[in-house]
Amino acid sequence: MNLEYVPTICPYCGCGCGIYLVLKDGKIVGTEPWKEHPVNEGTNCAKGKSAHSFLYSEDRLKKPLVRKNGAFQEASWEEALDLVAERLKGVPPEAFGAIASGKTTNEESYVLQKFARVVMGTNNIEYCARFCHSATVAGLLPTLGSGVMQTSQIDIERADCVIVAGTNIKETFPMLARRVLRAKRNGATVIVIDPRRTATARHLGDIHLQLKPGTDVALINGMMGVILAEGLQNAEFVGARTAGFDELRAALADTSPEQAADITGVPLEKIREAARAYAKAKTGCILYDEGITQHTTGTDNVMALVDLTLLTGHIGRPGTGVNSLRGQINGEGTGDMGCLNVFYPGFKRVGPESADFFKKAWGVEELPTQPGFTYLDMLHNCKVIYLVGANPVMAGPDSTDIKKALDDLDFFVVQDIFLTETAEHAHVVLPSACWVEREGVHAWVDRRVQKIDKVIDPPGEAMPDWWPICRLADKMGYEDKFNFTSPAEIFEEIRSCVPQYKGITYERLQKKAGGIHWPCPAEDHPGTPTMFGQSFPTADGLGHFQAVQYKPPAEQPDGEYPDILNTGRSMFHYHTGTMTRRTDALNSEVPAGYVEINPEDAKRLGVRSGMEVTLETRRGKIAATAKVTQRVPQGSIFVPFHFSESCANILTNPALDPTCKMPEFKVCAVKEEVRE
Amino acid sequence: MKGDLYWARSSDEAIAESAECGGAVTSLLKFALDTGQVDAVLAVKARDGNRYDGIPVLISDAEELAETAGSLHSVSVNTPRCLKEYLDGASDLKVAVTCKPCDAKGIIELGKRNQIDLENVLLIGLNCSGTMRPVTARRMLEEEFGVDPDDVVGEDIEDGKLKVRLRDGTEKECDLSELEAKGLGRRENCRRCEINIPTMADIACGKWGTDGKKTTFVEVCSEKGADFVGKAIEAGHIKVEQPSADAVESRRAKDRAATALARQWQERDFAGFQAMSTEQRFDYWFGPSGQFGQCIKCFGCRDACPICYCKECYLGADRGVIAGGEIPPDVMFPMIRTVHVMDSCVNCGQCEDACPTDIPLSRLIFMLNRELTPIFKYEPGMDVSARPPMRTVTDEELRVSGVELVL
Repeated sequence: MNLEYVPTICPYCGCGCGIYLVLKDGKIVGTEPWKEHPVNEGTNCAKGKSAHSFLYSEDRLKKPLVRKNGAFQEASWEEALDLVAERLKGVPPEAFGAIASGKTTNEESYVLQKFARVVMGTNNIEYCARFCHSATVAGLLPTLGSGVMQTSQIDIERADCVIVAGTNIKETFPMLARRVLRAKRNGATVIVIDPRRTATARHLGDIHLQLKPGTDVALINGMMGVILAEGLQNAEFVGARTAGFDELRAALADTSPEQAADITGVPLEKIREAARAYAKAKTGCILYDEGITQHTTGTDNVMALVDLTLLTGHIGRPGTGVNSLRGQINGEGTGDMGCLNVFYPGFKRVGPESADFFKKAWGVEELPTQPGFTYLDMLHNCKVIYLVGANPVMAGPDSTDIKKALDDLDFFVVQDIFLTETAEHAHVVLPSACWVEREGVHAWVDRRVQKIDKVIDPPGEAMPDWWPICRLADKMGYEDKFNFTSPAEIFEEIRSCVPQYKGITYERLQKKAGGIHWPCPAEDHPGTPTMFGQSFPTADGLGHFQAVQYKPPAEQPDGEYPDILNTGRSMFHYHTGTMTRRTDALNSEVPAGYVEINPEDAKRLGVRSGMEVTLETRRGKIAATAKVTQRVPQGSIFVPFHFSESCANILTNPALDPTCKMPEFKVCAVKEEVRE
Repeated sequence: MKGDLYWARSSDEAIAESAECGGAVTSLLKFALDTGQVDAVLAVKARDGNRYDGIPVLISDAEELAETAGSLHSVSVNTPRCLKEYLDGASDLKVAVTCKPCDAKGIIELGKRNQIDLENVLLIGLNCSGTMRPVTARRMLEEEFGVDPDDVVGEDIEDGKLKVRLRDGTEKECDLSELEAKGLGRRENCRRCEINIPTMADIACGKWGTDGKKTTFVEVCSEKGADFVGKAIEAGHIKVEQPSADAVESRRAKDRAATALARQWQERDFAGFQAMSTEQRFDYWFGPSGQFGQCIKCFGCRDACPICYCKECYLGADRGVIAGGEIPPDVMFPMIRTVHVMDSCVNCGQCEDACPTDIPLSRLIFMLNRELTPIFKYEPGMDVSARPPMRTVTDEELRVSGVELVL
């Protein structure tokens, strides 16, 4: 009998926790703590501990599926790929779109964007980050020059003041919460900005700024107003390392903390307390996520946080920064690999210069120089979509419209591990190997690059996500540009054309638990846990203030739809539930979808916990089980987006941030009714 | 015979020379495998030679034993769990298990609960003065010892010092209490552990009482152990001598000193909790900033604990006792777990190692266990025939009027 403990990294969130998989005679039978891993030191959340379950689910896709006469039929790889190649040939660049995955490896994501650009001649390549941190890129690029998390998550415990804005880290990033808790136990003040009284607000927060949904800019401007009024800004830092302070001060003169209290509903004293705590701290740290970005004012929200950070100088040192938290295992990495309509790999902006660089790097004559469509525009305007490991029917705004857009496509290919709600709409479905069924690297939330090794074989004929794309390229006449026989070869190409990864090798990653933070320019470079120590990657090396004004959310409650709908995530399930709803341990905790309703609203509606409620917005309606709780404020409800039968995104508003095309997942108008 | 004491060395000169302490344990394990007395050995090895990454390894080929030789102080593998969970409790496997005192105690407690078939298990006990968390150990070596952790080839905890030996032959040491005052050094539960010599195992092997010789001090602790060692000596696998009286006494003295130090740590660590008023306790554990308010219901503590063995856990959402999906879970979650295990806590510290929010579980539960021990006169993990008090009804208790046995 063969017993093996094999280390790997959890496939769920952006923390990147180590776990041991226990294999008995080649089958994964359990998980055990990997105590040496620096991120989690042998601890894991419920998802990590049951992470292997979904791998063996009966309904894993094992063979390609081709739609014939309206129904899926199994097909051979050759048949499926021949069909796809045939349907892709001759499709004009603007009519083709590729959706990459926040869960595939860097190698797999890289190959997909290369295919879109080299074979299909288009920059129509996007991934779920559009719905998650497009506001971060739009907010951080003009101000700081780079949209990445700036501190290693481990150093968060050094902070003496942490602002947790728009993120319920206790449930969504448990290891970050671990660091914040340690900081708190060492005396740090934790400020939570969230309209909900989440577990994070209740148990980690010292000061909870429970603002009205979508009023973040007003709040942060108010805090900056306090800081300026009391002379608490870091004058030295502002003078030496920033530009645009005078404009910011002038703009803030049109606002006031009192106004902020009025708009946000947060008591003035609390705004003052929070502002003072953060400004006076030695090591202030901002962690923010979807509660900040997923708004029509997402870009502005991020810029306001940047202003607050630059004003106080809490950046460029371990445990500081204005830190975006990419939630997916490869939320960072797939962006690094250029799966974005405006970036080639390594964040080289789409344009003639970058095209020239990659023409040389890839040995091709032509590459597209115009930015491609963003995600939703792609679904609406392209005729042929190739989608890998994504589930926009569940995760995108206005699900009904997305389904319609997918059904309008001439040809739709999906590569995934299960027949997801999105794959149901495809013409061809290709079975993917995932996680420890193949090898490759990911970049976790703090630019931490770690390697996943292959531990078991994939089910049936499922293949790693790079393979079908290379086969297609071959069939379409581009064999020599895609003649990879392994992820290792792909990674070597990545290292050669993505300078941030140049010094990272599989060998180095094998030797170091916890991986290497990019940028890592050379093989003897230790990696870069902390960014912006000396200067910012802007043209003048300075951080740029950008004053922003409060604008309310696109759709406010009214007579017909009197309450606010907020959506988000929770501890026991993950995103669209593809993996977690096939895991017994997690389903036993949370078997079905629910809606959080405030006790006052519940009284008004005649709702008790456990009753079925119909929720309706201008986009559609769903049913969910009521959970009456103080977690949501009066006038606001919360629905997690994990549950197919209570799909929150049937309700959400596809109104977009004009700068970054981020949908307003966090605020729209809703009405509730008890079902008879 | 039970109680026999030896200085033992491998009779294979190559092993004796290269091994840390003369290779007796390695040779005994080899003997067990070669003669078919066991089907396999369950031991711990440094994965890929990394002293900070320990994994259990099931060995049926004696050649692989070399990788498990020597002591690793920066790992704390959950051996009882491995045996129970992944090796079917040795129900169909004869296995020799190298174990620290807490491992052996955990295995014995699981034996009492029919989760491990002790008949099939040969417990090769290893003395232990404590282990360290790997991340802490690495930091400590860099910051306090000024060495590259990967240059360390051996550690020793002795006479109040933590000593490390480096690849180039040099040695460095630091004062253990100074390190531990800074939160470095040994795992908390190890500091509080009074049992350094695993006399509850079949044999107990260690360095104490070896007088600086390259040999292993072996104490025979059971008839099974006596039989095993006797056969090994007879077959010429190990060479043995009588330890000198001084050596025996020196071993006893070190043991006494370590026990005394452990009791000091217990007093110190428990004092804070014990001094709290009821209000303070409620606040500390269940208040707004309370410890159990941080729980994220990962079940890590439950999974790691050797005393927790129920196939259908009372805390599972489907049992209807603790509402599912709530963070933090209801206060009864930690309370039920505590009450279920506290009479038998073996102080392995695995629960606290597994907790994502640093809840001082081991400190709490072992403290409660120490309070129960004199009441029930029950020492966990020592004697397989001693029944856990909170799940054993005595005849006396049955005779008390109003007591009902509900099965």
